[in-house]
Order: sequence, then structure tokens, then C-alpha cells
Amino acid sequence: MHIPDGFISPKMYVPAYVAAAGLWSYGLGRLRRNLDDEAIPRVAVLTAFSFVLMMILLPLPGGTSVHAAGIGILAVLFGVWTAFLCVSLVLLLQALLFGSGGITSLPVNALAMGLIGGAAAAAAYRILRPLHERAALFAAGWLSINLAALVLAIALGAQPSLARSPDGTPLFFPFGLSVTIPAVMIPHAIIGVGEGALTVIVCGIFARLAKERGS
Amino acid sequence: MIRVEGVAHAYHAARPVLEGVTFEIAGGEKVVLLGCNGSGKTTLLKILDGLLFPDAGLYFFRGKKIDRRTLADAEFHRDFRRRVAFLFQNPDAMIFNPTVRDEIAFGPRRLGLEGADDRAETWARNLGIAPLLDRPPFQLSTGEKQKVCLAALLALEPEVLLLDEPTGSLDPRTTGWLVDFLQDLSVTTVTTTHNLSLGAELGERALVLSEKHTVLYDGAIEGILGDEQKLLEANLVHIHRHRHAGVEHRHFHSHDWE
Amino acid sequence: MKDKAALLLYAAAVLCVTLVHDIRFLAAGLAATLLFSGRSAPLLAARAGRAILVFNGIVSVSYAALALLRGAFQPEFLLRMNLRVFLLTYLAFLLVSRVKPFRALSFSPALLHLFTLTYGQIIVFRRLFDDFRLALKSRSPARIGTRDLYRNAGAAGSFFLEKALHSSTEIADAMRSRGFFRDPR
Repeated sequence: MHIPDGFISPKMYVPAYVAAAGLWSYGLGRLRRNLDDEAIPRVAVLTAFSFVLMMILLPLPGGTSVHAAGIGILAVLFGVWTAFLCVSLVLLLQALLFGSGGITSLPVNALAMGLIGGAAAAAAYRILRPLHERAALFAAGWLSINLAALVLAIALGAQPSLARSPDGTPLFFPFGLSVTIPAVMIPHAIIGVGEGALTVIVCGIFARLAKERGS
Repeated sequence: MIRVEGVAHAYHAARPVLEGVTFEIAGGEKVVLLGCNGSGKTTLLKILDGLLFPDAGLYFFRGKKIDRRTLADAEFHRDFRRRVAFLFQNPDAMIFNPTVRDEIAFGPRRLGLEGADDRAETWARNLGIAPLLDRPPFQLSTGEKQKVCLAALLALEPEVLLLDEPTGSLDPRTTGWLVDFLQDLSVTTVTTTHNLSLGAELGERALVLSEKHTVLYDGAIEGILGDEQKLLEANLVHIHRHRHAGVEHRHFHSHDWE
Repeated sequence: MKDKAALLLYAAAVLCVTLVHDIRFLAAGLAATLLFSGRSAPLLAARAGRAILVFNGIVSVSYAALALLRGAFQPEFLLRMNLRVFLLTYLAFLLVSRVKPFRALSFSPALLHLFTLTYGQIIVFRRLFDDFRLALKSRSPARIGTRDLYRNAGAAGSFFLEKALHSSTEIADAMRSRGFFRDPR
């Protein structure tokens, strides 16, 4: 679901890098205070976990399938900051080691998916949990994907007005918000269902195992 | 029953995992696939189960070529999956049903065999896990999970059972039980291991993969066990110094250290 | 040192490619990059082309269709966009093929450690994850049902979650026993 390289202008990605860098260091600092020695190994293995979640193919109605994102699972179980750090690290590794994704769009993708998607999931879960556990998990998964997608659609759709040549030709991306929002959001409303279902299943099994262990 | 002709496979172009592998296996044979880590044993089993396809060479099962095209045929696919079963090295990879009963009945149900529930009961009894039938399989011990997976495969009553390092993570008692159980089983088995003494228990014929990913030996298991040069070449034994009655000397060893 | 310089050079090149909008300069940059990459150029170009094909294809075609309808079609926009995206993607593949990013991170031991640990875990997890997929395939008909796929994905997800948490404690203990942390506890 992420934006590839070359569609985000420096007017957006440079400030996004500055903001993301500050948030990364804050998040890592927070985690180190909470987890001490285990912070680095914890982020490493949960990033690998997040990478595996993104390998899962979710079948959707109509015979298609999409890759999961797993943001809801990470945010519900480990909090927004862990989700943000792990998703950012996956995106960085994908860009630097596997040559996929993009280095210019990295901070925008990380902020949208990890931070905003993660925060949406955690908030939805916290608010709805007293009413219905499974519905809360489903909402966390669905909302994480859809809010992240909305932010990405806005980031893309803002490009024509942010960066254009003197004659008005867009420099990075041709479509404004009126195109990007429906084009991105309509499919994600369905994709979110798969993500929601996965969040319910994984968190459900995990909770059951934790309960049986008595922890 | 199984015919493999000049099979080669590589995950990355520069690093082959199998090269020019040729052999035949007749119905009822018990074959032990020996080789060191990374020699291509697991890849070969995955090819025999139609999960991977060779980059070069051919694989025939009961005279029919197995490739993407033949397995795309739903009826043939179903028939092949019923006849050939694969026990993964890590039982966790196989387990995903809510109860042991569902786990064992899964294959028979999906592959359209009759009496899936009866089969689950029968095979759970045969493997001594009947008391576990209504428990979720992922909370069992590794040995119990291994039995659940084995029951799940045997419930298909397959003709060929492919076993990938089946004793790898088992304790000595469960290993002993499994060896006895497999010896009494009357299906064709292909079992991978790098444990020589165990290999001798699990089959009468050995197929040895070399470190160069080719077939180094194909014949009676006794033949390879006595051939120190070949064992050394296949990296299945090692030489190291040690003491006997105060005298230090070097000789071949197959401690079967896990 | 070489890797660090290459990483900096890459960052500078990326910034330039997004600051320059003149098609002639972008084309010259691409030509220079292709020349610089020598014999690996065709292979890298093919990989970059494949990587951008779908997204750029969709954006280009829909732009062309919409702009033609409105009578405001500007071929230079299409050329600039595709040129820039291709060049950036090509640069990323070139970097990956020439540089070990791990070595470029040697300035920060913590970051280097995090990267190596994560990469190692990803390789282990990825191989194991493949087995989950294949194990389901091995016991299923040609068309696997949606329910089974979700259940299998759920089992894989929770297995890796457990494994991750277990490994995290184990790795921390291993690091502690090797004196990785300054203050002993």
C-alpha cells in the first residue's frame, strides 16, 4: 500500500524526514526506558515479525488477494511506538536491502502506516474493547489500513498543488485529491476487511495462549 | 512408483541446491535420504511432494509427469495430494486447526475422502493421542505435535510418506517410539536425516547427497555405512583427535551429535 | 569508508534527481548513471523497469486518458515523471548491488547491531514462513478455501509472534552473557 519512489516532492519528503527522525529517536528512547537491555532485540524480532506479516497474502472477495500490513496487530499488542519503529524499519530494509519501496517516500509511508495507522488501531481498540473484544480488534485492523491509506492519498493528491512548473504542469504526481482519495479509499475499504479479520485471528490466538500460560 | 531424472534446482542462479539428481523408488521401499546440512535433502522432498518444481530434469509419479501444468488439473492434484504426504521438519508449520480432531480430519475432508471423523479417531488411537483429540494442537509438546502431524498425514492413507528429519526435535523416548512406528508402517517412505545410526533403522536403501548436491551413493544402507571415504566426502562423519586408554589418536567418528 | 561514501553519494544523487525538473538534465543524469554502472547496466535497468511497470503504467495511462479528455495533455509531464521514477529506482538497485549497507552504518554500533539482528531474523522467519504456506498446500486441493487460508495465516501470525517474543528474550540473554551491555545486572 506504500507510495513508491519519485512521486513525493522534496517540499514534502524533507520536512517529513525531519519530523520522522525526531519521532524515531523519541520512540526508541521511550522503548529503551521501558525495556532496557531488551529494547534492541525486541525491535529487531518484532520487525522481522512485521516483515512476515507483510508476506501473508489475504484472499479477498472476487478472487484477488493482497499482502497484509499487520499494523493493527503490532499496535494493539505492543503499542503505537513499537508499531511505528517496526514498520519504519521494515520499509528501510526493503529500500536498502531488497531495492523495493523508496527512500524518498520512506518518511511519508512510515508516518502514515506506522504512526497514524498504529495510533488509529490502538485508539479504536481502546475505545471499543469494553463493548466487544473481537469487534474492537476488527476495527483496529480495518481502521489502521484505512486511515493510513487516507493519509497516503492526501500526500499524493497534494503533490500537484505543492510542486508545479511556472506554466502549471505538475512536477511529481498528476492527480489531485479529487482523484487520489476515491481511487485509494474505495479498494482499501475492502482490503481493510482482510486486515481486520487477520487482526482478530492472530490477537485471538495469542490472547488464548497467554491465558493458558497464566500470564 | 517414483522416477526422478536429472533434476536440478536453484533458489539463486549462482547457488544450486540440486544438480543432475536421478533415481527410482519402487512401491513399498523404505529409502533414507542422507546428506549434510545444505545438501538439498529438504528441497528434494519438496519436489517429490510437488511443492517445488525442478529448474531442469523430470519427476514422474506412477508414470505421470509432475509439473505445474499437470498439478493445475484439480482432479489430478487432489489424487496426487492423497497419495503423497509430507511431514515437515517443523511440526508447527503444519498445525493451524482449532482442535487435534480437526487437524487430523483436515486432509481427508478437503481431499474428499470418506469418513474423515472416523479416520481422525482411528489414527489418533493408532498414534496414542486419542486423549488429546479435543485439545488445541498448538498447546501440545513438540513430540505430541509431531504425532498429530503424522496422524494428519496417515489419515489420508497415502502411498508415499515423505519425512523431513522426523526425529530432529524429539527426545530419546519419542525418537525410539517413532522409529518403531515407522518400521511397522507398510507405505513407501523417504526419510531425510544426517544421523547415520538412525538412518540404518529407518530404511534398507540409502540415497546420499554430496556437498556438491549430486547423488553420491545409491544402494543398500550397509554399503554406505562401511564406506568411510564416501561418508567423509558427504560430510556425514568427521575425524577428530581423542584419547583411548591414555593414547591419543585420530579416527572417523559419527557421534550423531544433534 | 567506501560504503559510507557511496551511501552519501546516493543520498545526494536522490536529492538532486528530485530537485531537478529539466528533462534534459534528468536524461543526462540517467545516461551518466547507466555509463557508470558498466556491464551490470542492462540487468539493473531490466529490474528497475519491472519494479515500476505496474504503478507507473497505471498512473501514466490514466493521466493520458484524463488529460486527453480535458484537452490538456502534456507529454513532457509523462516523460519527466517516468524518467525520474526510473532513475530513482535504478539508483536504489545500483546501491544495493554495489554497497553493503551494513558497513555503511558502522558509525553507529547500536544501529548496526539493530540492522544485522533484524536482517538475520527476517531471513530465518522468511524461510519458516514459506513452510507454513507449503504445508497447507501439501494437504489441500488445488483451490484452497478462503477460511483455510485465513486460519493458516492466523496460525502463522501467532506462531511468529510467540517465536519473536521468545527470541527477543533469548537474544537479550545471549548479548548479556557476552558482555554486550555495559552495566551488569
